Formats: sequence, structure tokens, C-alpha cells
Amino acid sequence: MARYDAIIVGAGHNGLVAAAYLAKAGRRVLVLEQRPVIGGAAVTEEVFPGFQFSVCSYVVSLFRPHIIRELELTKHGMQLIPLECSFTPHLEGPGLVRWSDPNRTRREVSRFSRKDAEIYPEFALAMSKMSFFVKHIIDSPPPEIGSLHPNEITKLMGLFGRLRDLGPDMMELHAQLLTMSGVDFLRMWFEADALLAPMSCSGIIGTFLGVHSPGTAYVLLHHYMGEIDGAFRSWGFSKGGTGGVSQAIANAAVHHGAAIRTDARVASVVIRNNRAKGVVLENGEEIDARVVISNADPRRTFLTMVGENHFDADFVTQVKRYKYRGSSGKVNLALDRFPDFTCRPGDGVHVRGDIAVAPSLEYLERAYDDAKYGEFSKRPYLNVVVPSLVDPSVAPPGKHVMSIFVQYAPYHLKGGAETWPKRREEFGDTVVDTLAEYAPGLKESILHRQVLTPWDLEHEMGLTEGNIFQGELSLEQLLFLRPVQGWSRYRTPVRNLWLCGSGTHPGGGIMGAPGELCAKSLMNEGAV
Amino acid sequence: MASRYDVIVIGAGHNGLTTACMLARAGRRVLVIEKGKAVGGLCAPEEFHPGYHAPGILHDTAQLRVSLLEDLHLDEHGLDLAPPEPTLFAAPDGGGLTIQPADPGATAADIARLSAGDAARWLEYRAFIESARDLIEPLLNEAPPDLASLGSFGPGALGGLPLGIAARLAKAAQRFGRRELAGLLRIPPMCVADWLNEWFESDVVKGGLAHAAIQGTWAGPWSPGTAANLLLLECTTRHSVVGGAAGVANALQRASRQYGVEIRTEAEVARIRLENGAVAGVALTSGEEFDARVVASAIDPRSTFLRLVEPGQLPIAFEHRIGVLRSRGTSAKVHLALNRRLELAAKPGERVARARTTGTLDDLERAFDPVKYRGASARPLLDIFIPSVASPETAPDGCDVVSLLVHFAPFDLAGGWTPAASRRLGDAALAELERVAPGVSKAVVARAVLTPADLAERFGLDGGHIHHIEPALDQLVIRPTLDTMRFATPVRGLFLCGSGSHPGGGVTCAPGALAAAAIVAAS
Repeated sequence: MARYDAIIVGAGHNGLVAAAYLAKAGRRVLVLEQRPVIGGAAVTEEVFPGFQFSVCSYVVSLFRPHIIRELELTKHGMQLIPLECSFTPHLEGPGLVRWSDPNRTRREVSRFSRKDAEIYPEFALAMSKMSFFVKHIIDSPPPEIGSLHPNEITKLMGLFGRLRDLGPDMMELHAQLLTMSGVDFLRMWFEADALLAPMSCSGIIGTFLGVHSPGTAYVLLHHYMGEIDGAFRSWGFSKGGTGGVSQAIANAAVHHGAAIRTDARVASVVIRNNRAKGVVLENGEEIDARVVISNADPRRTFLTMVGENHFDADFVTQVKRYKYRGSSGKVNLALDRFPDFTCRPGDGVHVRGDIAVAPSLEYLERAYDDAKYGEFSKRPYLNVVVPSLVDPSVAPPGKHVMSIFVQYAPYHLKGGAETWPKRREEFGDTVVDTLAEYAPGLKESILHRQVLTPWDLEHEMGLTEGNIFQGELSLEQLLFLRPVQGWSRYRTPVRNLWLCGSGTHPGGGIMGAPGELCAKSLMNEGAV
Repeated sequence: MASRYDVIVIGAGHNGLTTACMLARAGRRVLVIEKGKAVGGLCAPEEFHPGYHAPGILHDTAQLRVSLLEDLHLDEHGLDLAPPEPTLFAAPDGGGLTIQPADPGATAADIARLSAGDAARWLEYRAFIESARDLIEPLLNEAPPDLASLGSFGPGALGGLPLGIAARLAKAAQRFGRRELAGLLRIPPMCVADWLNEWFESDVVKGGLAHAAIQGTWAGPWSPGTAANLLLLECTTRHSVVGGAAGVANALQRASRQYGVEIRTEAEVARIRLENGAVAGVALTSGEEFDARVVASAIDPRSTFLRLVEPGQLPIAFEHRIGVLRSRGTSAKVHLALNRRLELAAKPGERVARARTTGTLDDLERAFDPVKYRGASARPLLDIFIPSVASPETAPDGCDVVSLLVHFAPFDLAGGWTPAASRRLGDAALAELERVAPGVSKAVVARAVLTPADLAERFGLDGGHIHHIEPALDQLVIRPTLDTMRFATPVRGLFLCGSGSHPGGGVTCAPGALAAAAIVAAS
């Protein structure tokens, strides 16, 4: 008999959530992580002595509050600090700050458009209503379209019914939200470029699309839905970096008896008679389990760890069609001091949220045009956070860590993805140069610099093509189509092999939902 | 006293005429009011140079919904149908291949010259289209389902779908396979580039197909949702009309005469008159008034509600929804009069009636890019129609008329559509034509350039948009808004019957026919 009920491949936050749920339900669980640290892309590392970085993902917004409650994550050390504002510096004028206090935001917005300032609350209300509907979709496994099972039909009709109950205006808005571009969607309310630009950015994060590309409105909501411990529409830092979230989940899992092994790279999944039986580590060690749950993305799971020969040709085709196309990079800086932003100097509250270099829609769209033809943006969109301003524990006294999310950095460079290592520093320079236009003292204050290209995300974090969401969040890769049509319920064609990562419904971000839904589905079906 | 009609139709384009004819046949007294001199709207032929007749603004007649027009017996009024025409995909290097919708085998053989793999894939692609057609066509040939009753088993509706369609779809789905049916849902949100890359490797094939998918859109081949346009086009291509769009306009005009439709040209509607929130008639700019309880507007929805209905008459939320519809025109038209016949490099010595320029998907995307910054393509895409091949009377002996739909040229061009900008557009189009038909420039004796601003002005098109509102996924599924998508509007007696309604733009006559049915059902 197998020693374990479940082996989870990868200690990303979703893998850990799945582990914690299974362990809490009394299952014997082993989590295997290839890296020396847990957390996957939700990881904190001391990259330079004294400086703790949220190396990849950098803010927490979508984490499902009921998971925090059910796993008692607060007790296990999870601590989230809400972001108070979002600052968009401009080369001329004072820039724009959107505050968590709507009245303050309206005063800021009215400098660009009085009409926009007036309509702002109406927009916020519409988005909240939509978020409530979308929450139902996020918090349950996707409906299986095409199935004639009475349960599925009832579920679908219920969904339609709920949509209908929202009234015609909201129905229309949902259809638009799913298909429109972020800019077109926002333009139904707003007119000022200075406001549209930073607002539309949420729609492009992690996608290989521009702000004018249809489909980005949904991603916008995906980020807009930020919810911290039940408080709607807020983003937050995790104390000690995003690795703190992973650590809290890991603590919960271990508390309930799960085992976690780092530096344990899974080479392959053992399959006999089309059933997963366990895994083989790179060092040759074989570990049995009743089920194997992969937190890795679908391509790595199916094509690398299992192998094409275990699936029918149609399934393999669909796995290969599933698109990754990483589009973002990350630059992490250790700073000697906090550099002033020319348009609003000082390290006041305005820089304690996120700082978005997104001065205009044209700026953002041109950044995308560069990427479309295989170049990283000459002037990229940057989303900057300086967690040390809010949480001094992550840097030595007086010093700071700055995390810069960069888009676009296409995995598929014109010269091929393998040219990324040669261009890594050039990319880093572009990012620093761009930000230095707004904060001229930046270059002098840099003590250390870490540059992560999409190629690095693939090679170090195991994210295929450097996609931070384990596959694009485009409409044809969501819901019952994620990752493969007919296999959206965490199960796979290989019995006892399951998926629990961002490559499954409802997708990426530090959300925990795929891990939770996988664990619950698996237990519902009595797989363990 | 104003003259009294049962129905007044605004706009004598192909949809307006269709609505008018169908209502007249159903016994209504119908008046059509047309702003221009001629009837036919975007299908109206025009002598743009002595002896040279341009075929109308729209080219493609392959999607004409003959099944919806049976009652009108248009064949008795001169409508002449032929199999869908071959289209040459003309590559900038002078190469190309001929797509024959009616003959996949011959097309595959032509494709095989470029790629043996693509030739085989072509047959699979056509087979896929044929099976998808059974599912998609019924949806486009009926009024859209009542989404407001979605999710409820109401009388006559299964989850919002009329039982008839639901049954037919269920049958088609059974044939198609439930798995494949769900797989079909994957396609519409995709960008056409991704979808075509799944099928083909040849740039000539992919570029030519993608070109069709992005016509009239504010989108490039890498924009999500463009795969829907290709899928819809392919699934509705059935035949062609001899004489092109002009052939449709002529037949409808003759039919309307026979059915007793009155048509007033050079008459512009100033406003739709309302009494107690219901339609009472229309008032012309000349001051003349007509009474009618029903007005069907074949012009675009934004012009209908925001220009012709007086402010204060519409619910504010509704007016807002109409106001945010997107109709950013990106197409222009160039007519050329040649003093000889057009010779395309890809088919020397052959008479080619229809061609589209092709290129790599990135070439097509680059043609779109400037639009985002209010610029026109330096290297536009050309949809080429030579009406004089099938209808020699449209040009002097031994000569050709060449009509080009040119993409992309934005309505809101930075600096405006000045005469110089219009000339540059004509030059860019001609330069592009020169690549696929070397020497053509020297044969041009006259040219007419219609910028999106000209189209807006001449045809009263909001944003100069040839499809009234953009064929983007959101505006295709709910067209134009949830409370007007079944042709009736919040104003009692006011109906929509133009390209801004389901199932969209092009020479289909479907919005006109479906609107007429809705009007008859409502009275």
C-alpha cells in the first residue's frame, strides 16, 4: 500500500492550498518542490544580503477569503497590509493618485476631467456588482458546456438565471466585459487619457495583448476584484513578501500533518495501466501515492512529466495549442535610499501603494506594438512597489527593496527565446532608464539589481514560456476550456493524475482557488 | 395634412428596401425615404467617370440570405445567382493562389504549389466549415434569442431560444458531436491569427483568409475576436450575385416598384415624430411631414436614436448605451477607370473578377497598427473587385473598372481628411495595387477616392462605418443593444432594420428581412 494518499508536485501556493485541504481532511500528503524554497512564484527570497524580495508575484489581491478562514491562515502567520493608493507619475504636472478613499480619488481625477470624477462612483458600483457575479464563477468548478447531465444543465440554467436577475443593463455589461477591450470598456464611463491609461493596465497584466485588444476587459475585472479578507476591491502586501502567504499555507498544511520536501525535483509521473501510481524524482527515488496532483502547468505536466504516449492524439494537440506566450519580466532593486519622483517628491503615502508607469494609452499601446514583432518594449509599462516603505522588516534600516513588474517582455524574441540571457542586462537597463525619467535619482541609489526575463521565469521557476498565469487568460482558455476542453475539472485523461495550478479554472494570480477546488473535487469524487 | 402610411422606412439601402418590400407584400402601405439621389445605399452603382460604372461600396454578395427573401421572388425581378466566385489571394511578390469556394479540390491543388501540407489541411478546413455551417447558419437566419428570458423555461422558449431553433440546433449538434460543439465555442473569441496558425503554414493562405476577417473592423489579425468574423463569413458563403451588390440593389428596386412601395429620394428625415412616447411619423428637413404608426430605420442605430429622436424622449440609460456603441470606420473606397484590362501578375492573361491582397500575418497587423494612433496604413490591404469582367457594360470596350475596398483608413484621421490626405490614400492604394498588377498606374484614366469621412457624408454613416457598427464580438452577440436586438426599440412603433442589427453588416438583407417579420408580428 502506498505511503501517501496524495503527492503534490510543486509547492506553489496552489499546491500548498491543495495539500492543506487534503491534510486537514485527514489524508496523508507529500509536497515535492524542485527548488530549495517553497512558494513557487509566490516566494520571498533574500536575493542580496539583508534584502528580502517578493521575487516574482508582488501583491496579493485575489486570494479567496474563505480559504483564509477555512485553513485558519491568519493563525498560521498570514498577514496582509492593504495598499492605500495607486500612483501614476507624469513627466509634466503632478501625476495622478487613485486612493482607496473614493472622495480623494475624485478630487484627483477632476483635475483631468470633471465628468470622469462625477461618474467614478457609478463605475465602482457597476464593477462591484459584476465582481459579485463573477465570484460565483470563480468559487466553483466551471460548468461543463456540452454535457447533458442534469446536474450540469441545472447548474448552467442557474447561472443564466442569476445573470437574468441582475437585469438587462448588467447582462449586457457582462457580455461586454467578456469580449471588449479594457479601453473600450472603460470608455463607456471615462474620457480622460490620464485616467484611462493606468486603469486599463490591469487588463493587460500577464497577457500578450494590448490595452486596445478585445478580451482585456475581463482581465481588468480579474484584477479589479481584489478582495482582502472579505474587504472588496483592495490589493495588499503580504508581510514579509508574498512568500509569507505561501509560508502560512505551508504552516497550515504541516500543522495538519502534510510533509513538504524541497530540493526534490520530480522527473516523471509513474503510470501503470493508465493510472498514476506515484512519481520518480530526478535522483531516481520512486515514491508511491494513490493520486498525483500536479501544480505545474499543463504542458510540463502532460508532455514532460507524463509523456505524449499516454494520451490520445487529440488531447495532445489541444495541450500543445494551449497558449503561454509570457509577456512580462521582473526587475528587483536593492536601494540605498528612496529616490524622489519629480512630479511628487518624498516617500509619503502616495508611493506606498503601487506606482504605475502608464502615462498615456498611446504609450501603452506602443509598448505592445514592440512586443508583437518580437522586441521588448523600448518604453515598457512598469508596475512598481516598494514594500519596505510599508513593511520595514524586508530591508536594512533606511534602505529599500523595489520590485518592478515589466511589460512587455515577450518570451519569443525575434532572435529566439534563447537570446534572452544575452539581452538580460540590456533589458534591465531599459527598465531602469524608463523609471529614471520619472525618478532621476534612481540610478545613483541602486545597490543591487536582479533581472528576471521570461526565459528566467521558465528556467528558474518552471513556468512554461515564462507565463505568470500558467497560460494566457484569454477567453478561449478560460472556464470550461481551461486548460483543455472536456478536462476543466482538475481531472486528466490519466486516472489519479490531477491538476491544481493556475493552468486550471479560474486561472492565475495569488488566488488559491485552483488548489482549493482541485482538492475538494478530488475528495468529492472519492479519489482519496 | 400629412400623408398617412402604415410604415415609413428610413434609408433605401439594401436592408431598407428589403423591409419595405416584405411589408408591402404583407399588405402594408409603405414609404421609403432616401437622402441620396439613387436608391441602393452602399449597393448603389455609380457612374464615376463617363462610361465607367462603379459597383457600389460593398463587394461581397456571397452572404445574401436567399432563403429569407424567397417571398419577394427576386429572381423574377432580375436577381441572378451564380456559384460563389473564385477569389485570387494576390501576394505582394506577384504570386498567389485562387480560392474556389465551390471547389475545394481545385483549391487544394492550387495550394499544393505552395505547401503540400496546407493542401491537405484545406480539405479538412472546408469539411470543418461545412459541419459548423449547420450550427451557425440557423442562428444567423432567425431573430436572435430573447436573452431577457435566458435561463427560464418560458412558453415557446427553451432557455431563451425559440423551440424551433433549439430543436434544429440540437439535431445539428448531435451530428456535429457534443464535444466538437463545445470546441466550436473556443473559436469566436480567438484572434484569427492563432486560429489560422492552427490550420495552415503558408502566408499566402493565412494572409488572404485573415484579410477577410478584419475588413471593416477596428482590429488586426492578432486582435482577439477576429476568428469569429472569419467563421461567420465562411459559414454563410453560398453563392454570388451577377453584377455584384448593384445586382441586388437593382432587383430590390424593381421588386419594390411592383409591390407598390413608394420611394422618395433626395428627401432627408430631420426627426422621427413622437406622440406620447410612440411613433407618429417623420418630419423631413424640407418641413414636410408624414404620418405613420411604425417607422423602420435602416440607418445606423446611433444616427437613429441620437440624431433623429429628439433629446429627452429616450430613457437616459438607453441613450447612454446607444452612445457608447463603437462605429469607428476603417475602410475607404477607391474606384479606378482603366484604359485597358487589368492584368494581375499572379494570373497573366486571365480575367480575374475578385482578388484580395495577402501577406504575412504581421504584414496585415502592421496595416492596422497606424489606426490606433489615428493614422492611415502606409501599405493598405486591398479588396479588389473588377465588375467589368462579369458585366462588360460597366466599362468601355477593352477597358476595366477596378473597385477597391481599402483597409485601414480611420474615420478620425489625425489632421482630418483634407484633399491632400485623400490623395495620399488614393496613392497608397494604387501603389499597393501596382505590386500585384505591375504597370496598372499608367492605365488609370480616372479615379474616385471615398474616404471614411466621404462615406459618412454621402451615406449618412455614423463614423463612416460600412457595417454601421463594428463587427466586434460584443457588438455581434448583442447587436446593437440588449433592448433593441430583436428589432423593436423602447420607442413604441420604432424598429431597427439596418446593418447595425442582427446578424450584422454586408449584403445579406437579413436584418431587413428579420425586422420586417418582427414588425408584422408586432402589429
